[in-house]
Amino acid sequence: MKPLLKFALATLLACLPLLPALANEKAEPDPGKSQYWPPIRQMMFGDREILDGKDVMRVYLSTRADDAATVPVAVKAQFDQSSAQYIKQVYLIVERNPSPAAGVFQFTPDSGRAQIETRLRFEDFSFVRAIAETNDGKLYMSTRWVKAAGGCSAPGDKNRMPENLVGTMKFRFADETVEANKPALVQLMIRHPNESALASDFDGSKIPQFVRHVAVTYGGKTVMSADVDFSISDNPSFRFYFVPDKEGELQAVVEDTHDKRYVHRALIVEGVPLPGG
Amino acid sequence: MGSQRICASLVFALAISGPVIAVAEPSDEFELSQVAPGNFVHVGSMEERSPKNMGDQGNIGFIVGDTCVAVVDPGGSLAVGKGLRAALRKVTDKPVCYVIFTHMHPDHLFGAAAFRDDDAVVIGHENLPRALAMRARPYLNALARDLGELAAGSDVVVPTLLVKDETVLDLGGRSIRLKAWPAAHTDNDLTILDESTGTLWLGDLLFIDHTPVVDGTITGFLRVLDRLAKLEVRHYVAGHGTSGLQWPEVLEPERAYLDLIVRETRAAIKRRKTIEEATDEVGLSESARWVNFDAFHRRNVTTAYTELEWE
Repeated sequence: MKPLLKFALATLLACLPLLPALANEKAEPDPGKSQYWPPIRQMMFGDREILDGKDVMRVYLSTRADDAATVPVAVKAQFDQSSAQYIKQVYLIVERNPSPAAGVFQFTPDSGRAQIETRLRFEDFSFVRAIAETNDGKLYMSTRWVKAAGGCSAPGDKNRMPENLVGTMKFRFADETVEANKPALVQLMIRHPNESALASDFDGSKIPQFVRHVAVTYGGKTVMSADVDFSISDNPSFRFYFVPDKEGELQAVVEDTHDKRYVHRALIVEGVPLPGG
Repeated sequence: MGSQRICASLVFALAISGPVIAVAEPSDEFELSQVAPGNFVHVGSMEERSPKNMGDQGNIGFIVGDTCVAVVDPGGSLAVGKGLRAALRKVTDKPVCYVIFTHMHPDHLFGAAAFRDDDAVVIGHENLPRALAMRARPYLNALARDLGELAAGSDVVVPTLLVKDETVLDLGGRSIRLKAWPAAHTDNDLTILDESTGTLWLGDLLFIDHTPVVDGTITGFLRVLDRLAKLEVRHYVAGHGTSGLQWPEVLEPERAYLDLIVRETRAAIKRRKTIEEATDEVGLSESARWVNFDAFHRRNVTTAYTELEWE
């Protein structure tokens, strides 16, 4: 026993049950036969009809992800937002993650275009489902299969973040300047560990700290807001459109699970160079 | 004859599909080379992990002193660990007193269970237990995905002696200096210097021919390489690959690769490129120089981008 003790076989298997390996899933399974989807669908949408989404919005993801802790995803509407026809919400779901609803993103006609780009963690090979809800209350779904695993447990602890940096933000613009009334694409970057509940297994007393809510306004009007989860990578990044005037303030308010609230503002003036490079 | 052949193929069929949990036995062909007196290295494969190679990927080995032996990385599976232990026993009958992990990656540490019955102290970087606690499950899942039943018995063993900064151990007439580095390849990189021969075991702080992997910080990796280059080293053991180059020239291809990624990623960010656009264009000129480039390069750029976009 002594050698055993000395060797400290405190194998983590005891607290982390080994899930059955999905050895034969090198090929893409049938999205209609997923056993993970029906209970999620029932919980989130009940018996509501979900239509095919390809003419409403598309989801862009690389099928074999490079880094399971940072998988870029883009959901793009296939039409511009107008008060007559717009996408109200986009649900982004990673079926096999411990908390499958990665985010619910709300848009308005003021968003210009309903588009969200972010980065996801994958705990296992999984379908990603993007479901758009249009202003007439209909639901549309697009689905992609992604081969990436281990990204929820592999946390963003590579460079441990000094406390005073948590919650600092940056706006990064796709173009050097904006033009009034023309939809502009901006990336909101948030310095935050976005700890996953799995990553905190090591210290059970610690409540994971992750971003819960993001609200972005321009000139006081909401352009994008989101309820998010730890399926979003550390240092959460959200890229989306807004429609600038000649001059106005872009503001982001971020709240996390430790009830911390962070605010970032930038004055956007037509023709004046903007950060992005 | 005919019936014998049928029997043989039936046995074979059972061996690969039967319900018996198969644990591969150590191969007789477990090759070792002595890079310096008392420093024995087994060079791993550059191929992807498979039931054929059983995760025999990283360079692993041991250092023999007058009183006992220190294992440096027990290998990528129980089978590889057993192979190393059997090969070690052909070299010396001295006890294994230490099992040292150079870092957290599965191809270096899953063989630890082969040394379970040795009265050995398991050693790692002070950040290693935390890193393993968070990654054990996905590492084991991935092993099971690649090896199936052959993954049985491979295990994560948590170190009990943790190195913060430096620790010197005596193997009897031979002292080895363990150094814990700031975040680089991972946040738990440890090097082992056999002071009597000037042999430095680098783990994955040095990749030769195999595409370097950044699972920590790319700028930190470059800073650590600059410090390593200043050390007096007569012999070296990389985490992957071998080379005829002298120290510190042997560090140069890896340093140049990482430096190119940093420069080109910074340039892409400056041109307002997205992370997807950057991974499509950065560092491709290096592709011919490295093995497994497609499997690891884009991931390195992803890591670099998420680090450098905050500068």
